[in-house]
Amino acid sequence: MRKLEEVLRDWEAVIGLEIHAELTTLNTKMFCGCKLEFGADPNTHTCPVCLGLPGALPVPNRAAIESIVLAGLATNCDIEKHSMFYRKNYMYPDMAKNFQTTQGPVAFCMRGHLDLDVDGPAAGERIDLDGLAAGESRGNVTRTEDGYVAHVGITRIHMEEDAGKMVHLGGGEGRIAGATHSLVDYNRAGTPLIELVTEPDLRTPEEARLFMQKLRQIYLAIGISDCSMEEGSLRCDGNVSLRRRGTTGLGTKTELKNMNSFKNLHDGLAYEICRQAEVLEEGGVIYQETRHWDPTAKRTIVMRVKETADDYRLFPEPDLAPYDLTDEFIEGVRAKLPELPHEKAVRYAAAFGLSAYDARHLVEHRATADFFDACMALADAGKDGAAFAKPLANLVINDVTGYVNTHDGSDGAPAGFDGVFARLTPARALELVGLVADDAISSKQAKEVFAAVIADDADPAAVVEERGMRQVSDAGAIEAVVDEVLAANPDKVEQYRGGKTGLIGFFVGQCMKKTQGQGNPKVINELLAEKLG
Amino acid sequence: MAATFGEMSVRQIQAGLAAREFSAAEVARATLERIGAADEAVHAFLQVTEDLALAAASRVDAAAAEGRLAELGPLAGVPVGYKDNMNLTGTRTTCSSNMLRDYVSPYTATCVQRTLDAGALPIGKLNMDEFAFGSSTETSAFGPTRNPWDLGRVPGGSSGGSAAAVAAGLVPVTLGSDTGGSIRQPGSFCGIVAVKPTYGVVSRYGVVAFGSSLDQVGPFARSVEDAALALNAIAGRDELDCTSQPCDVDFTANLAEGAAGLRVGVVPAFMEAAGLTAEVRAKVEEAASALEAAGAVLVDVELPHAQAAMSAYYVLGPCEAFSNLARFDSVRYGYCDPGHADLGSQYEASRERGFGPEARRRIMLGSYLLSAGVYDTYYYPAQQVRTLITRDYLDAFEKVDVILAPVAPRTAFKFGEIGDPTEMYLSDMFTISINIAGNGGMSMPVGLGADTGMPVGVQLIAPPFRDANMLRAAAALEQVFGPAPVAPAFADGKAGE
Amino acid sequence: MTQHLTEHDVRGIAEYTRIGLTAEEVVAMTADLNAIIDSLSPITEYDLDGVEPTFHPIGDLSNVMRDDVERAGFTQETALMNAPRQEDGSFLIPSILGEGGDR
Repeated sequence: MRKLEEVLRDWEAVIGLEIHAELTTLNTKMFCGCKLEFGADPNTHTCPVCLGLPGALPVPNRAAIESIVLAGLATNCDIEKHSMFYRKNYMYPDMAKNFQTTQGPVAFCMRGHLDLDVDGPAAGERIDLDGLAAGESRGNVTRTEDGYVAHVGITRIHMEEDAGKMVHLGGGEGRIAGATHSLVDYNRAGTPLIELVTEPDLRTPEEARLFMQKLRQIYLAIGISDCSMEEGSLRCDGNVSLRRRGTTGLGTKTELKNMNSFKNLHDGLAYEICRQAEVLEEGGVIYQETRHWDPTAKRTIVMRVKETADDYRLFPEPDLAPYDLTDEFIEGVRAKLPELPHEKAVRYAAAFGLSAYDARHLVEHRATADFFDACMALADAGKDGAAFAKPLANLVINDVTGYVNTHDGSDGAPAGFDGVFARLTPARALELVGLVADDAISSKQAKEVFAAVIADDADPAAVVEERGMRQVSDAGAIEAVVDEVLAANPDKVEQYRGGKTGLIGFFVGQCMKKTQGQGNPKVINELLAEKLG
Repeated sequence: MAATFGEMSVRQIQAGLAAREFSAAEVARATLERIGAADEAVHAFLQVTEDLALAAASRVDAAAAEGRLAELGPLAGVPVGYKDNMNLTGTRTTCSSNMLRDYVSPYTATCVQRTLDAGALPIGKLNMDEFAFGSSTETSAFGPTRNPWDLGRVPGGSSGGSAAAVAAGLVPVTLGSDTGGSIRQPGSFCGIVAVKPTYGVVSRYGVVAFGSSLDQVGPFARSVEDAALALNAIAGRDELDCTSQPCDVDFTANLAEGAAGLRVGVVPAFMEAAGLTAEVRAKVEEAASALEAAGAVLVDVELPHAQAAMSAYYVLGPCEAFSNLARFDSVRYGYCDPGHADLGSQYEASRERGFGPEARRRIMLGSYLLSAGVYDTYYYPAQQVRTLITRDYLDAFEKVDVILAPVAPRTAFKFGEIGDPTEMYLSDMFTISINIAGNGGMSMPVGLGADTGMPVGVQLIAPPFRDANMLRAAAALEQVFGPAPVAPAFADGKAGE
Repeated sequence: MTQHLTEHDVRGIAEYTRIGLTAEEVVAMTADLNAIIDSLSPITEYDLDGVEPTFHPIGDLSNVMRDDVERAGFTQETALMNAPRQEDGSFLIPSILGEGGDR
């Protein structure tokens, strides 16, 4: 098979996503008062409603309706005041009533969009943008200095309920194929679920990945879901079809499942695009089918061929009253809408002069953005806050994120952003950044202090004091060291003066060594330049 | 022999308890004995719930001993039977189907719970057409119920057991459910008071659904006052049913007002309908005259779309039933055909053998009517017709307080007399439009038909949430025709001989 | 009588509704369903242009919701009390795909 970037030169991929998010932050299920809890013993969070017992009736959870309206407002959707629940009828053992309660043609949220900033090498995959200057638009995209912005339409977000969970036994690796029997647990049945459907506006796997990432950040920011792709509370299916560059028709699409990480989403789509291209180039036909991404084998496999359109006998759910949302309800939800990650990023860039890169990374996690906001609020209360922004951003993006990515708590050390920020309080972060700014410690020493703050739950100044880490910036003291180093290496001094200027690093290193790393590198460099010059 | 407890009125039982003439435990035991002796002939009960009845009786007796009988509620010490589509924890709830032959309820329906809260003695579960699909109780998987007035005739349906138990004097009050006439038609066939309140007055939570937008629970009794007391107990908003509504009416309040000044609508098209027998028409006319004589004003009203109700009903009912009955799949409960290696064949065999022919027919019909392309031909127009029928009633109720109509076109028929499903469906021709529109309707007994000698009920139809109107008119008729008698073969403790 | 449904159609509906029917039952069911559907024809004969459907009777109910508050449910034992087959606290079902299944 050819590589994606080659395939995309000849073919245009048309991609749409269907993204399901469980509203895991609620207390109870969609239509009954059973507790929402992941990982409980099977069938211990059930009642007549979510077991689909004869005679049981659903009653919708108000908080779930508020959540979906919040999601719609955060993704620029129109909130439909009048909508209904419908029954989607099909028999499957994980669905207790053998119909899913979902929405019909009108969903709570319709006609939204998200704008994606695409830069880096993947921006080059949009060869249709070649020749476009920054600021110019074509279709739903606008060129920028370092890439482009894609305006991706959201068809709708509707409210529905999740199914139970099944364990397949007797076959290989818990797969349904070959299983002799299955066990059904209805704890998850009835979990509130929102499904977002995009327009087929995406053109590359990277755009799909970015969309998913941006949506996840938004859902986390508004607090409606824990968005755990591993535990399945955020799930993504993709529809892909290809068409020859320069044509506008739509090819036959396949539906792709099991893309349960950002990497799998990207790689699964990339594989499927290349597979379809190969089939088409060999004169073959794409069948409308559901395919499963196997990340181990790195390929997609057929799950189910759709010969005819599914007929779910959809009809309005008579047991649930229709919705006629009031302005008061919608405005009440809007009042709960926090500043969204992309809005924060814009503000960080504008207010604190951060680069787009730094701003984007700060808002990637709600915890880091909240922490940064808390630091800046504290700094503003003191002296010149903006001066702290860049070093704080570096601290969060490099040190904190690096630490979180390498600690899982198994050694008893703090883990996760919560663990780190319990010890690195905004006050301590400002103190640490301040020590560097005042030349009291070097940025290298700052890393050691950071580690000590987390490990020992100590104030940065106390760590510096205790470890005698004060940076030596006194020119007199450093000059003595510099003289000593130069005197001890006359041959190297000779070579340097003969043009081998790369040796400057050697001299700096020797001076740092002699000061036990506490010499201010800036002062050392200046003195060396002066004495060698 | 003194009247059995089943022949007494609610007030009589409560007076006896208050005067310590008998205890609730005696009421429960005597009622259970009476059912044991007389129900063999009728087959109204599918199970008696002796332990639950005696436990409830001891609570009532404890309250009586402390002088708190009045605090208990409108049904204190009254034996009550429930249609077998109503869940009551620890009892089997079979819907008269092999599908649920062994199903034990792990929870209690709100309407049942409210009778218990009101002091009722839960005496047993009552036979019905399978999943309420029928008008004769002949489709019960456990054998038909017989009409206490003539054991060779059907009691009507689908709540045939609920009607027959009251008509035979086994219990004073039962509950049934009505989707297209399933309370009113057996009420008429068995000659008792049978009330289908406005949709939303009584919670449907825990009542096995047939047609969710049509089903409504209501009481059977032999007097209007007993029915009103039972309705007082069960009516009102339930947080577990989104379609239930607040209801703070005392349904006994205006029973004594009489018919003076009451505007009573008569629908000429109903009186001339093909299939309406002369004896039933005569009884409806007699009732109209009686109300007029009592001071009511008779007004002709039109319901121009009522004849579309039948086809709308046979679209909407099966569509909702198809979906409601999908849950019977042999996985969580219900009949599971043994020995299948794959789920598909277990599904198909379990649903083939668990459901009777009428259930299978309606499930398949509903599935067809909702399928792509067909939906727009039947289901959607049926919901539009519902709008027209609802408007017809609202227009009519601009002019009248209550409408008087036949309940069923004829009196109870003989077993096996009607075999064709579409002919059976005609039993509901006068009752169905009320379920489509959602307002209240009831059957009020007005004596025996001149030709068959079987009981005839007239239907009183009320505006939405003005169910008190029809109860007032019914009480006025009761003044003239008397309270419903126990069927003669069961009167004075007889057991059908 | 109009042939609304063929036996082939009826077999398709039986498969979708998961009701097993013998060959004779298919014949009888086809006749019954066609007769019933015939009797529904009045619904197709009204002029319903511009008439809004009433999906919910007593139609002024809307926005009926509950608070997000936990309510006691079943124990595992109660949840499974009517289960035809069970194992390890779960409902047990035979192979979903069966032999040669494609779902």
